[in-house]
Amino acid sequence: MPYFWTLVRTSARQQMTYRMAMWAGLATNLFFGLLRAAVLLALYNGQPVVNGLTMDGALTYVAFSQALIAFLTVFGSFDIMRTVYDGSISGDLLRPANFFFYWMGREAGRAVVNLFWRGLVFIGLFALFYPIRTPASFTQWLLLTLSLLLSWLLNFTWIFLTNLLAFWTPDAQGILRWLFGLAQLLSGWMVPLRLMPDWFSRFCTFTPFPGMFNTSLEVYLGLLPGPAVWQALGLQLAWLILFVILAQLIYRAGIRRLVIQGG
Amino acid sequence: MYTFSIYLRLLRAQLRSQFQYRASFWLDVFTTAVFSGVYFLSFALLLERFGQIDGWRLGEIAFLAGMTELTFALMDLIFSGFDPDFFAPNVQMGRLDQIFLRPVSITVQLLGSRLVLRRLGRALEGLVILLFGIFASGMHWTLAKVLYLPILMVSQIFCMGALFIAGSTITFWTVQRVEAVNIVTYGGVEMMSYPMSIYPAWIRRFFTYVLPFIFMNYYPALFFLDKPDPLNMPAFAPFLAPFVAAILFWLALRFWRFGLNHYQSTGS
Amino acid sequence: MMTEPIIRVANLAKLFKVPIREKRGLAAVRSFFYRRFRTVRAVDDVSFSLEPGELVGYLGPNGAGKSTTIKMLTGLLVPTSGQLTVAGFTPWKQRSAYVANLGAVFGQRVTLWWDLPVIDSYELIRAMYRIPADRYNQNLKTFRDLLELDEFIQSPVRSLSLGQRMRAELCAALLHDPRLVFLDEPTIGLDVVAKERIRQFIQHIHRQRGATIILTTHDLADVERLCSRVIILDVGRILYDGELSRLVQRFEGAHELRISAAEDGPALVLPGLPPPRRDGRFLIYSFDPRQTPVAALLQQLNSHVTVADLEVHRPPLEDTIRRIYEQRLLLDDGSHPDSPAGVEKR
Repeated sequence: MPYFWTLVRTSARQQMTYRMAMWAGLATNLFFGLLRAAVLLALYNGQPVVNGLTMDGALTYVAFSQALIAFLTVFGSFDIMRTVYDGSISGDLLRPANFFFYWMGREAGRAVVNLFWRGLVFIGLFALFYPIRTPASFTQWLLLTLSLLLSWLLNFTWIFLTNLLAFWTPDAQGILRWLFGLAQLLSGWMVPLRLMPDWFSRFCTFTPFPGMFNTSLEVYLGLLPGPAVWQALGLQLAWLILFVILAQLIYRAGIRRLVIQGG
Repeated sequence: MYTFSIYLRLLRAQLRSQFQYRASFWLDVFTTAVFSGVYFLSFALLLERFGQIDGWRLGEIAFLAGMTELTFALMDLIFSGFDPDFFAPNVQMGRLDQIFLRPVSITVQLLGSRLVLRRLGRALEGLVILLFGIFASGMHWTLAKVLYLPILMVSQIFCMGALFIAGSTITFWTVQRVEAVNIVTYGGVEMMSYPMSIYPAWIRRFFTYVLPFIFMNYYPALFFLDKPDPLNMPAFAPFLAPFVAAILFWLALRFWRFGLNHYQSTGS
Repeated sequence: MMTEPIIRVANLAKLFKVPIREKRGLAAVRSFFYRRFRTVRAVDDVSFSLEPGELVGYLGPNGAGKSTTIKMLTGLLVPTSGQLTVAGFTPWKQRSAYVANLGAVFGQRVTLWWDLPVIDSYELIRAMYRIPADRYNQNLKTFRDLLELDEFIQSPVRSLSLGQRMRAELCAALLHDPRLVFLDEPTIGLDVVAKERIRQFIQHIHRQRGATIILTTHDLADVERLCSRVIILDVGRILYDGELSRLVQRFEGAHELRISAAEDGPALVLPGLPPPRRDGRFLIYSFDPRQTPVAALLQQLNSHVTVADLEVHRPPLEDTIRRIYEQRLLLDDGSHPDSPAGVEKR
């Protein structure tokens, strides 16, 4: 377990050296954030509220969703897939650490740095252009932290699961890109679920994806009354447990296949 | 002409090397089409709740966005060699040098150096959305519109091609890949997928008088969709697209020449 | 018969402005807004000329300015000052017309199309260089035989071994009968057999086809085998331009005479020479062949000892060149590089 925290620390330190890329990323995020804000403003056209989401809330959504791109790795990651394809996975397997937790440690380090550098800094920059709402009370901040943690874990496990496809197909990149896009849509990242047609958001609640983003957004904006918050967090946790179990099973199957087939 | 025949040969070579991976190729085209379509789908679902954006209904947006997607994909096919994401690492690794050793124009060699056929997927997606837009918006065809549509699309291709070329030229000076260049290329495309009237006045003015992109997409769309002009531009505004594209492309080529000369005097 | 030199280089210089990296404190902050530069003289007043049909070895330690000169010669880089004429062209000014006369092979880079069969690359080259059909077929047949290309000419370049790729590249570089050939590390990374094959081929095209060849290499066996003339570059200046044999004669280290005597006895010390070393049965005498011809040495030894076995060792070229680089022997030679004593023309 102490090994885990060393991983997190080393990974974080490495991430901090990519300073130029961080500035470039911030600039890109800001541009697209302002673009999406303009689109939403035009859509609202002066209406104060739409399906429970105020205009302020909508603008905050834009800031929130852009700020978390790096933290949640919204556009997905192909790193694990690549280690399977180029054979370097054998090096990782020789290490005396659980493969799942090893990658989690690596990604966690990056994520912590990105939460500040691409997250908080971004919100600060965006706030120069549009007003941003923030959680009203200490309890809300606490709930937000919990929800973000669960969101991150869900996102990570999703990426881990999808990358495992590499064990079964020689060209998983196309499918993976598609799966990441699907998650972006169904998690409410592309468009908040409240602004989607009712049938769509109802459909999404049967999928694990809202827990990857939409839940955290609603906690942040305080849109969930009392017990509903705990229900939402509970749902995040439930899906996470399911994902982790799936991940372990599929991973073990994949390794067996790799070892038998010889890569 | 000699140069053109060499260009065709280079393209044929690219086709040959990509068709080796035939099976996954068609799957790739399909997944690209579907994947790019998800973005438009999400906006369409959004519009279901709001009904319209600044007076534009779904069909009209589909016309605008579909044409932008289609022309961008076609441009990306033609100008793949100048994609800054691809060009910059090549310069960094000195791969540009062997192009200098061949007795053919460097620009033509670069144009023929890459052909991302996968983009056909995005072109297909754009075409489908465009066709949907034409039907759903109830567009009335006139002879002028039929004649102008292909001219407009060619203009858009060259305008965006100019962005690619300019973006690649900048990487001569920045040496490393400049991610911010993506703001200009991909960001520009996304911007043009929405009617320019939704943006704050200072942005609109920038894209009218500094980088006249507003004439590439928004004004021609007003013409095709028979929509009134909220900004009160002169009546010929929709037809400026070919001229704007020609000027921008010429400027981009001059800048590219300048960049090449700089590369030759300072090395990599 | 006086022929026009194919390459004429006069006072060629290339200066680079390199930013100074400030690391500490206030200077580092200032460097965000205003950078200071220092001038690096990558090539500093280089002059030489090449007659058509010469095979020259272009040597020098890393960072000497070799690749910078080659880039200027191939039209890739514009010099800061000086004159450069190759085959009647100014390389960087008339690039497209000029490079039609060049062929180049780079040991560390691939110039062929990666995913295509080798023969397809050749077809593209034929079109690019506008090679007439009969000449193309003739050359292709010759090179296919000489380089044994048939075993892989239909395979894509990415599937070739290093040796096969070098052979493919050599053919590609010569299909259009270039007047001038640049070979940059053509044998790097190859096994002994492959190296020899390449060297034989280079020798062939030099002798049979009269190509002018500039060979840049760190493998001195290449140089020994192929070059009679060498140009040595360091710190951007030409330190030596002339016969390889004369260079060796001037700077070669001590030779060794190893003898084993028929009967045991004390080691014989010869006048004017350091005492010999012992290595098992052998006695090793170090001597300077310029001062003590080996025959005289043997005669002296024979008069005192019965020699049962003998070997004469010359230091390898690599040792000589290494000493020249390390100890800057040419720089400290006292003579100006361009003076008659420092630069020997053929």
